[in-house]
Amino acid sequence: MSRSNRTLLELYELMMLTRTLDEVLGKHDGHWHGLEGEEAMIAGIYHGLRKSDVVAPHYRGAVSAALAKGADLRTIMAGCLGRSTSYHAGRHRSDICGPPEYGLIGLYAGSLGPPLGYAAGGALASKLDRRDDVAVGVFGDGTSSRGDCHEAMNMAAVLNLPMVFVCQNNQIAISTELKAGVGGRIVDRGPATGMPGVRVDGNDVLAVKDAMDEAVARARTGGGPTLIECQSYRVAGHFYSDAEDYRDPHEIERWREKDPVTRFRRLLVEQGVETADLLARTDARIGKDVQGAFDAALQDPVPDPRGLDPGSVYAEAAP
Amino acid sequence: MSRMTFQQAVVAAIHREMVRDRNVFVMGEDIGKFGGPLRSNAGLWDAFGAEGRVIDVPISESTFVGAGVGAAMQGKRPVVDLMFLEFLALVMQQFLDAGAMHYYSGGSQSVPLVVRAKFGVGPFHGHAYDHHSWLANMPGVKIVAPSNPADAHGLMVSAIRDNNPVLFLEHMALYHAGKAEVDPEAGEVVPLGKAAVARTGSDVTLVASGLMVKRALAAATTLQESGFSVEVVDLRTISPLDEATILASVRKTGRLVVLSEAIGRGSSVNDVIALAADRAFTALKAPIRKIAAPDIPTPFARELEKEYLPSEDLIVQTVRNLLHPA
Repeated sequence: MSRSNRTLLELYELMMLTRTLDEVLGKHDGHWHGLEGEEAMIAGIYHGLRKSDVVAPHYRGAVSAALAKGADLRTIMAGCLGRSTSYHAGRHRSDICGPPEYGLIGLYAGSLGPPLGYAAGGALASKLDRRDDVAVGVFGDGTSSRGDCHEAMNMAAVLNLPMVFVCQNNQIAISTELKAGVGGRIVDRGPATGMPGVRVDGNDVLAVKDAMDEAVARARTGGGPTLIECQSYRVAGHFYSDAEDYRDPHEIERWREKDPVTRFRRLLVEQGVETADLLARTDARIGKDVQGAFDAALQDPVPDPRGLDPGSVYAEAAP
Repeated sequence: MSRMTFQQAVVAAIHREMVRDRNVFVMGEDIGKFGGPLRSNAGLWDAFGAEGRVIDVPISESTFVGAGVGAAMQGKRPVVDLMFLEFLALVMQQFLDAGAMHYYSGGSQSVPLVVRAKFGVGPFHGHAYDHHSWLANMPGVKIVAPSNPADAHGLMVSAIRDNNPVLFLEHMALYHAGKAEVDPEAGEVVPLGKAAVARTGSDVTLVASGLMVKRALAAATTLQESGFSVEVVDLRTISPLDEATILASVRKTGRLVVLSEAIGRGSSVNDVIALAADRAFTALKAPIRKIAAPDIPTPFARELEKEYLPSEDLIVQTVRNLLHPA
């Protein structure tokens, strides 16, 4: 599919933004779930969705998902720092839990899998309201083993829901390798539950984007759900300060050479979309924006500890 | 006014709200043409099935309750039939998440969801387990347990209009057990979070919900013949607890007996005891008593089942001993 230069540059910026989050938030908090190696999947999945589409992102990419949907960088940074200025008023962490105002379904209790059911509910709401908004449920190879994943795919197919399931297959779940966690091919579970299954190179942002566009268009027009399996590799540790003594460092190095950001940058230059100099300038601007938002959020007030009001757990009654 | 069973009252309330608000829909296993187990959704398919608002789902409780959560997050008002409370274990994560969302989102997310569940030792001889107490330990979740058809109607209307996840308990021994007057178009509905003084008395307070209210009222009538004046507080809503009504009653009578169909260990009624001990201690003239099912799984044989459940006789005996210690 031919793409406008504008779309190509937006994809690049989303990839670079994702990489920069790693550098800024990873340095700040060693528990940050690193994104290196998965930037192409993240950009390809979340670029171009509507604010009114519902997204249950993988936690590895949740911040990028929120930003791609229009959330404010500075406010998200405040959420990663637990500041009162954040979308969640400091009550939850923005690195895994995006703002619902932008259609984000967060990891509220941290359990992987159930958000796929919540996303199916978002798709059901769209269908009941006769809207053409879709829901996107993203999960890792690890979560593909959850019953929730199987159940959500089966139900989405049975009810013909406007939904896209995307497996961000990075071949490892914390320390459990793909072969120890997943029986068979994840992509085959699409047809097994009654929906198309598509497998793409997760390090090729345009391949991911093409598959997403086709699946989203099918969902918007009543064609039902699709499963996309993106194959990549978690170059990052499970978390930023992960010692990773469970992995072969040579394997990591081999995949680092396939870096999706470098690969896409080279393509943009070769195809004359943008010069290397201008891309370097884009990189610097994004770096400055993210660091600037982070530094500014650091100065924001922390929540008032006296504000622990049990009454605030309940929403007000409907008028 | 019309005369309805508990089951008819619940369905009438859902029907009323489905007419009133197009965002209300029902979802569950076998709730379409089949009408739901024990006729829990009888008639809704004929009325709303063609609009797609009565949704049969595959056997996947975690995901269809999860889909209820997700649809509620987008402004719909799902009424999901879990079938039996025994299946609550399958949807604990969904309740935990849904209950946390309003607080965690900084107040921007609400989850107007009702999950219905049948339970209770009764004529159907199965699926009796009462596990609602698990959810008392989850912030943001409401638990409703009506004891009669009129409350079942009013509380269901309120539960659907409420902007929080609500577990709505439907006791199977009350389900088809006689009709009572219900005003299906009542302007004022029974609010969540408000207990009812089901019987006024001055010597002792019995606190109960669901079927235990019926037994408490029967025991109170028996005790009245012996000159004992028993007050019965019907909790109606178990979470959040109506502390004011409980405390007012205990301060008036000076004695408290709590009833629990669930096993005593970890039962939600323990919070009623803690409340009275903490905030009405000086008003107490006698130790607080708890009458609960023993800490064993609900047994099958009728003889075991009968002994398992707190009976009217046991309530009468406990109150007698409290008022006139041997």
